[in-house]
Amino acid sequence: MIYVFAVSLIYTMIKKKDQLLGANRNLVLFLLLSIIGLTLGIIYVINPYLSSISSMLEKYMK
Amino acid sequence: MNKELSLRQIAYMYVFISISPILRQIPRALAAAAGRSAYISPLWSAVAILPITAIVIGLLKAFPGLNIYEIMIQAFGAFLTKIIIFGYLLWFLLSITAKINIYAQTLQFTLMPQTRTNFFLITLIVLVAYALLRGIKTVFRFSEFTLGTILVIFAILFVCGISRIRKDYILPVSTIHLMDTVRASVGVITVGGNVILTLFFADKLGISTTKKEKRTLWYGTFIFLILCFLVTLVTIGITGAALTANLPFPFYITVKSISFFNIFERFEVIVTLICVLSDFIAICIFMILIVRCFEWLFDLKQKGFLYAPLTMIIFYLTYYLSKTQFEFDFLYQNVIVYINLVFQYLIPLLLGLLSLFKIKKIKKQF
Repeated sequence: MIYVFAVSLIYTMIKKKDQLLGANRNLVLFLLLSIIGLTLGIIYVINPYLSSISSMLEKYMK
Repeated sequence: MNKELSLRQIAYMYVFISISPILRQIPRALAAAAGRSAYISPLWSAVAILPITAIVIGLLKAFPGLNIYEIMIQAFGAFLTKIIIFGYLLWFLLSITAKINIYAQTLQFTLMPQTRTNFFLITLIVLVAYALLRGIKTVFRFSEFTLGTILVIFAILFVCGISRIRKDYILPVSTIHLMDTVRASVGVITVGGNVILTLFFADKLGISTTKKEKRTLWYGTFIFLILCFLVTLVTIGITGAALTANLPFPFYITVKSISFFNIFERFEVIVTLICVLSDFIAICIFMILIVRCFEWLFDLKQKGFLYAPLTMIIFYLTYYLSKTQFEFDFLYQNVIVYINLVFQYLIPLLLGLLSLFKIKKIKKQF
């Protein structure tokens, strides 16, 4: 799935080129969000059995 | 100012997105907390839901044509507003991932137990993307047109279910249970608080909203409360409080035993479909709100480029949030419910109070 998302990011970059290059803020935000998304995706691909936020909270709250 | 939406559409949307929690989470949470007297809890919740509706209507009246961000700027100032909007952004992210999670779990529990979560998420992404491509109005119109039919289906279900309610499952109720029912009402209050979403779309309502339109928001709240009461009553009355408290989707099991004069049966498929539609609209609405929060936070003029990276983040966050029904239940009952209270009641209440004090000063500017 991460490849599909990577392709969709590249597609968005090409299609929304004018919006992204029109303002620095847009480009920075897009890159920041893409990096966060890709990082989450890569971590999930490397270890899909990583314990969830809910199970971690359960451990600390009980 | 362009009037893109009507208050009636927003009220219908509010009821529509509340349907899935009403069917899935509320009867279960109430039965676990208050036992056989749980159906009284929706009545207590009116004590919180009606005032918050009054605050929303009051703010709409006091600041016509302004959304929650613009009202907050006037009341709290720019810096504090940005922080609060960032908080709302995180809340919407949590809400959307929780919604997607429970949507996939509902489908796995009811119709497609063998199908992997991935499949549900991918189809959902495609459907949400298609709906959002058509524009915000399509999402609201869909709930506006569908809600009537859904309410008729519920009316038929309740009428057919009355004869199956067992008195010993719902009676006797004594004053000893009163405090439990009050405490349990938190589960209803956190769903009913979604009425504050109206303020996020207030700028789309135009400057003039008629009294009749404002009344529809009240009707929406009353429909929500009545629906909550009836669903809880029928579920506990037919399935029993002990079983309701331990089932992941009690209303689904309850509906299995209801038939329409022994002619039509198996309404559970319809109930699942209603639940899925409600989740779908809720996910669309949360996505719109997340993008709006980004627009407000960073003063963005364009927003088209946000959808692809945001979809990716939400997709993977869904996996990180919770992986099983048990984990989700824990998260919902111990975290989401209380976070909802802050964003649905505490902040709007502060906003309402501050606006009340500053209203003269603010009105002078316009």
